[in-house]
Amino acid sequence: MLLLAIDTATRRGGVALGNGEGVLGAVELGAIELGGRASVGPPRHAEQLAPAIEWVCDQAGIALADVSAIAVGIGPGMFTGLRVGVTTAKVLGLALGVPLVAVPSLDLVAYPLRHAAADLVVPLIDARRNEVYFALYRPVPGGVQRVSDYSLATPTDLEAELTARGRSALLCGDGALRFRSVFDDHDLVALAGPGHATPDLAALVELAAARFARGQVVAAAEVVPLYLRRSDAELARDRRGA
Amino acid sequence: MNPRDVGGRGLPVHARTLVLAIESSCDETAAAVVEGGRRIRSSIVATQADLHAQFGGVVPEIASRAHVESINGVIARALAGAGVELAAIDAVAAAHGPGLAGALLVGVSAAKALALATGRPYIGVHHHEAHMYAALIEDPTLEPPCLHLIVSGGHTLLIAMDDHGRYRRLGGTVDDAAGEAFDKVARLLGLGYPGGPVIDRLAAEGDPDAVRFTRPMLGSGHLGSGHLGSGQYDFSFSGLKTAVVQHRRRHPDQAVADVAASFQAAVVDVLATKLLRAALDTGIETIVIGGGVAANSALRSRVAADAARAGLRSVIPARALCTDNAAMVGAAGWHRLRNDGPTGLAGGATPNLALPGT
Ligand SMILES: [Zn+2]
Repeated sequence: MLLLAIDTATRRGGVALGNGEGVLGAVELGAIELGGRASVGPPRHAEQLAPAIEWVCDQAGIALADVSAIAVGIGPGMFTGLRVGVTTAKVLGLALGVPLVAVPSLDLVAYPLRHAAADLVVPLIDARRNEVYFALYRPVPGGVQRVSDYSLATPTDLEAELTARGRSALLCGDGALRFRSVFDDHDLVALAGPGHATPDLAALVELAAARFARGQVVAAAEVVPLYLRRSDAELARDRRGA
Repeated sequence: MNPRDVGGRGLPVHARTLVLAIESSCDETAAAVVEGGRRIRSSIVATQADLHAQFGGVVPEIASRAHVESINGVIARALAGAGVELAAIDAVAAAHGPGLAGALLVGVSAAKALALATGRPYIGVHHHEAHMYAALIEDPTLEPPCLHLIVSGGHTLLIAMDDHGRYRRLGGTVDDAAGEAFDKVARLLGLGYPGGPVIDRLAAEGDPDAVRFTRPMLGSGHLGSGHLGSGQYDFSFSGLKTAVVQHRRRHPDQAVADVAASFQAAVVDVLATKLLRAALDTGIETIVIGGGVAANSALRSRVAADAARAGLRSVIPARALCTDNAAMVGAAGWHRLRNDGPTGLAGGATPNLALPGT
């Protein structure tokens, strides 16, 4: 069993090859934006992804034709980044005749913190417009268990929800770094380091390998990004209708 | 034709070379298989018109999402329609600009994924160049030089194709694209979206001489007397739109069909006159139309009649080749591959891409 793993939900996207034992080779796209500082140019996933896949395969000495499934982080995250990654994954699936394993990108930020001592692990992916995508997870033996919907909210609203829950929480993801000041005075909330800012490729390989082994695959044509936010045109239409 | 090695992959480009092409620059998700740059083996178009109709125009984010949803099905249908396996495809092309950024990169990403999986070359094709090559599918004997009028909701262009890959942009719109004017006037007349087809239908029942709308930017210059590069081949449609608004206000009871027919007559007159004028000025003897507005009945018959009267050859591609489709991308991609080689997997999508060879 061999997996090609792709996640382009954030500025730092990446590609990995792996199997049930772990990552065989990986490469990151672009540079990471930390602490909410201005970015250096727009992300170039559309240009970089295909060469990155070719490079990883060459480095690992593996032909794409040998891949058993494509694992893809479906978001939430940057719309354009997601479309590049999901389109590439699903068309590769079509071309190679293999299924996809679709994993929400928030899972990939939370999973590496499964050994955290906190009651909750909360990945926040920057959704711009002063909002974050997030979900709440509980560390459980062998992984994390999601205990909320995949959601979109302002950091302030999330902070209020965490206060109401009164549980200790470890925040991670680029949204946590960007909006850290919102959570500064919160006694029960801690922040994971910058190494937990983006979806983790090793987590994608590991989670996807397990799902693939359980037969939790999706036909390539069926996969779509998990946007969580509708288009402005639809939002405006619904406001008018309300 | 000189067969030529492509990107060191040992692939000559010849009359049997199969290009799988993808088009996603606006609101059509399309894929096609084209043989030898001229022959359509299959052409599939999934239109999103219904999704955008309620918004009265193309919503880029909705278009981009719909492309991701339908891309696999469209590619699979194109391969099945051509009766070929993916392994039989020699090269993969996609329109990589100009167009809507989020929409373009779905087609580009898909094409590059196919190139990656098959080891075949990827070719990025300019969307306007693709519109021009639609005529070479329509008429397999057609060779440049020819003069192209490309008119749609997104573009209004007059381009001389001096040779394959060599173009001169003679003029373009200074405000609204011709198709945009149709959409806006259709909305104003309460006719719905998209405006082109509905005005075309309604105008057939109306009197095109009922209202003498202004012919914008047609005032100066006489046939065959102009100078190139003076802006005389530019177009402007926003004034015409305003004229329709004012007329409607003054004559609210006039039959809508008459207003639609008169508006359409003005647009067609401007487009056809400038196309003919440019042909006479440049000495190019073949005139061609393309783009969604080239599906308009009045424009098609007018251009054919003008050409016949002036002793020019006209190529009016089938309507399905005028509106956005992937077959035209495949035709242009084959020629670009033969003449320039592949684009490479690092190619991106460029919303305001300049026409190559201009
Ligand atoms: Zn077009």
